[in-house]
Amino acid sequence: MVRRLGFTGAGVVVVILLVVAFVGEFMLRRPGPLEGTPTTIHLETVGAVATANEWPRPNDPHPDWVGYLPTTILRVPANSTINMQIDQEDTPTGLRNPFWGKVFGTVGNTMHLTYFDDKGNPQEGDMTSIDPTLAAHTFAIPDLGVFVPLLGVSPNAPAGSTNVITFSFKTKGPGIYHWQCFVPCGAKTIFNNGGPMQTLGYMAGELIVT
Amino acid sequence: MSTFRIEEADRPHVIRLAVLWVILSAIGVVAVVLFLHIPPGDQTVQGTDQSNTMLLMTALATPIFIGVVMMIVYSAIYFRRTGPELADGPPMLGNAPVQIVWIAASAIIVLFLAFVGITTLATNSSAQTVPGQSSGSASGAGSELQVQVIAQQWYFTYRYADYGGVETTHLYLPVNRPVELHVTSLDIIHSFWAYQLGVKADANPGVDNIFHVTPQKTGSFQVRCAELCGIWHGEMADSLGQVVSQSDFDTWIQQQQQDYAVIQKAVPSYAPFYFPLPIEKGS
Repeated sequence: MVRRLGFTGAGVVVVILLVVAFVGEFMLRRPGPLEGTPTTIHLETVGAVATANEWPRPNDPHPDWVGYLPTTILRVPANSTINMQIDQEDTPTGLRNPFWGKVFGTVGNTMHLTYFDDKGNPQEGDMTSIDPTLAAHTFAIPDLGVFVPLLGVSPNAPAGSTNVITFSFKTKGPGIYHWQCFVPCGAKTIFNNGGPMQTLGYMAGELIVT
Repeated sequence: MSTFRIEEADRPHVIRLAVLWVILSAIGVVAVVLFLHIPPGDQTVQGTDQSNTMLLMTALATPIFIGVVMMIVYSAIYFRRTGPELADGPPMLGNAPVQIVWIAASAIIVLFLAFVGITTLATNSSAQTVPGQSSGSASGAGSELQVQVIAQQWYFTYRYADYGGVETTHLYLPVNRPVELHVTSLDIIHSFWAYQLGVKADANPGVDNIFHVTPQKTGSFQVRCAELCGIWHGEMADSLGQVVSQSDFDTWIQQQQQDYAVIQKAVPSYAPFYFPLPIEKGS
């Protein structure tokens, strides 16, 4: 009797440990951070992480998910100016709220673009807003007031073209600030805002300010 | 019909309980009125109404709560089983006067509280002016200001219909001016909760949910989403909401119109709600 009770108790403990380990692993699983070096961050955004130009993830569990690469966990210093470069490889899909077509919260409320116009010719210049229908993604840190629309690659641009967007913003004190995309780009999910839009390592990210 | 009669042996208990109940209730009600923080506060007329209503309900419920707890504790002390015997108590066959008093008192309290609650709800649903404040100064002060709250994963933006439909990232409201909030969503269900303003309104796609609020004190307030809406639901908050003077509001809204003029022409015309079609995104 005692032996049977002992086995039962041990079995319950093992099951509880397995459940805790499974849930814990699920909750804590996240990509590793990308350190600012010291204040420059270089990202790439692409419609399918397996086919990225710079940091492809062919063995990703969701190779056809849209994502920022190489990671969406960014570690940067507090009270500093962060220089961002985003290599944007996707074509336009448009903003649900056109308001986010304006750049704000960056240094000078502007961004610098190397891009291709609607005829496929290379262009370069500073912009304070873009046509909301031509946005492919946004890089937004709401708690820092940073909202940057990312111009989609013109369909007439040469194959494999990338728009390069650079801008700077200032961090506040230490903390974890979430960042996100305001273009609903999680294809084949409810309102296109599921899947990659709500998963760290794809379109959901954290800015760890230390 | 039975008559209400207190047995001689029970009289000390009744007197003891009655005296104790009156003393504790008096202390409890005074403590509730003086020391208990009743949300949401007095930043708006509606918030004050809600606080006063909840204060009244809490104050009325306090003697009842104290009476119930007191009876439980008193019974546990004085009427606990002291010996090993297990025997039924004397049968209780009901007492009509006690029952009538009990039912009538309960009904009066509940109906009174229902009346007060419904009245507050009805008043909160309509525009109000601040008592003692004259309306009709500069810049449309006194007239109802129409502000649209647009929820989206995971941020609230605001459009001011009376100012060309300018869209902003923070909510500013002028003091002493009735405001009509139109709450809607661009994607899924959210809930606009401005705690200090006393407003909590569902934000549903394709729905124009209307609430009235009249700020009566300047200061900051928080806005957050109160409907679980995805990974950044907990981050869908803003502590930079402000109630400001009418002149400060005029200055601020002009600045917003300048700042966002470049994108304003791309923003759709002001409408009760916006329901963009779910388009296949991602390339």
